[in-house]
Amino acid sequence: MTVQCELCPKECLIEPGQSGECRVRINIDGVLRTVVYGYPCSIHIDPIEKKPLFHFLPGTKILSLATVGCNLHCRNCQNWEISQANPEDSRAMNYPPEKLVGLTKHYRCLSLAYTYTDPIIFYEYTYDTAKLAKSANIRNVLVTAGYINEEPWKRLLEYVDAANIDLKGITEDFYRRVCLGTLKPVQDALVLAKASGILVEVTNLIIPTLNDKPEQIRKLTRWVKANLGSDTPLHFSRFFPRYKMRHLPPTSLKALDMAREIAIAEGLNYVYIGNIRSELGQNTYCPGCNSLLIERSGYTILQNRLKEGCCLDCGKEIYGVWK
Amino acid sequence: MTRRKFFQKLIKAGSAIIVGGWWLAKKAVPRKFVRAIKPNKYPGSLRPLGDIHKQSKWSG
Repeated sequence: MTVQCELCPKECLIEPGQSGECRVRINIDGVLRTVVYGYPCSIHIDPIEKKPLFHFLPGTKILSLATVGCNLHCRNCQNWEISQANPEDSRAMNYPPEKLVGLTKHYRCLSLAYTYTDPIIFYEYTYDTAKLAKSANIRNVLVTAGYINEEPWKRLLEYVDAANIDLKGITEDFYRRVCLGTLKPVQDALVLAKASGILVEVTNLIIPTLNDKPEQIRKLTRWVKANLGSDTPLHFSRFFPRYKMRHLPPTSLKALDMAREIAIAEGLNYVYIGNIRSELGQNTYCPGCNSLLIERSGYTILQNRLKEGCCLDCGKEIYGVWK
Repeated sequence: MTRRKFFQKLIKAGSAIIVGGWWLAKKAVPRKFVRAIKPNKYPGSLRPLGDIHKQSKWSG
């Protein structure tokens, strides 16, 4: 019997023995099974700045995991070796939720990140682990493309503390051509996440010739400001030629600087540059008095001048979760 | 054929059509799921945990 997966906007109709577009949700005898539940292909302890999250427990380590699979198929995917892999061709570890929470405690990590591929496609594993982690005072972080239906998203957000959500472009055409998805559900997921009260940071990967024009950047930053607020941190990330986009050059520092300048001019308070060394683009400045608050070099915090989440000089409260 | 037998046959035929239609509709309309069920086993191969302290090479 055919089943329909209603987790993400693709709403795949899946014949017996077949999987959805994500490759990991399979129709076995008329029942939908998530074959990666409890089987991450990657577990690492990363700096939280690598997610990137700059306004959530800066300078801490985060236990990060992924399973194979993804519901989008971005032609530029930086992690395509795992995101576009079939479970049957992959090697994984057996880590059910309780073992994962135990591992997080053992290594004294304050938080757990569901990342690298997309936690949406290992939804049940993410949900059960996040619920268990929350009860053990461990924070949960999602790094996601936000391509999910409203009802499961709302349920998951109950156990999430922070998310970095990709806004890959600002046109339906970009999402259709580059990601084989659609823009509207991502925008809805972003708005819902912000409204739920969790900390939200946004990442936009700038791809030369595809989404690097000033008017595209302006449109994207205006959308972020209007719908998520001017305090929402926005990361412009450097593209490297990977997967099906090896013909394009890496994003130049000039293009990233230009994007940052536009976003600041449009009124966003925290704009960063990622995947590249940058003097100004890695630091947090006070939107009130412009003094340096957090100085970073790569993923390292050189100095943190916040006092109880406020600017040391002018006392302005800075958006974030600081302890 | 008596009137009673005629009605008996009519009811039987009608019931068969309704049951058949319901069965066909059930087959044609997919079962909908949001939550999927845990697997019995992983379809790929298993390996031990690697060097967890080594920063991931993956983006994110």
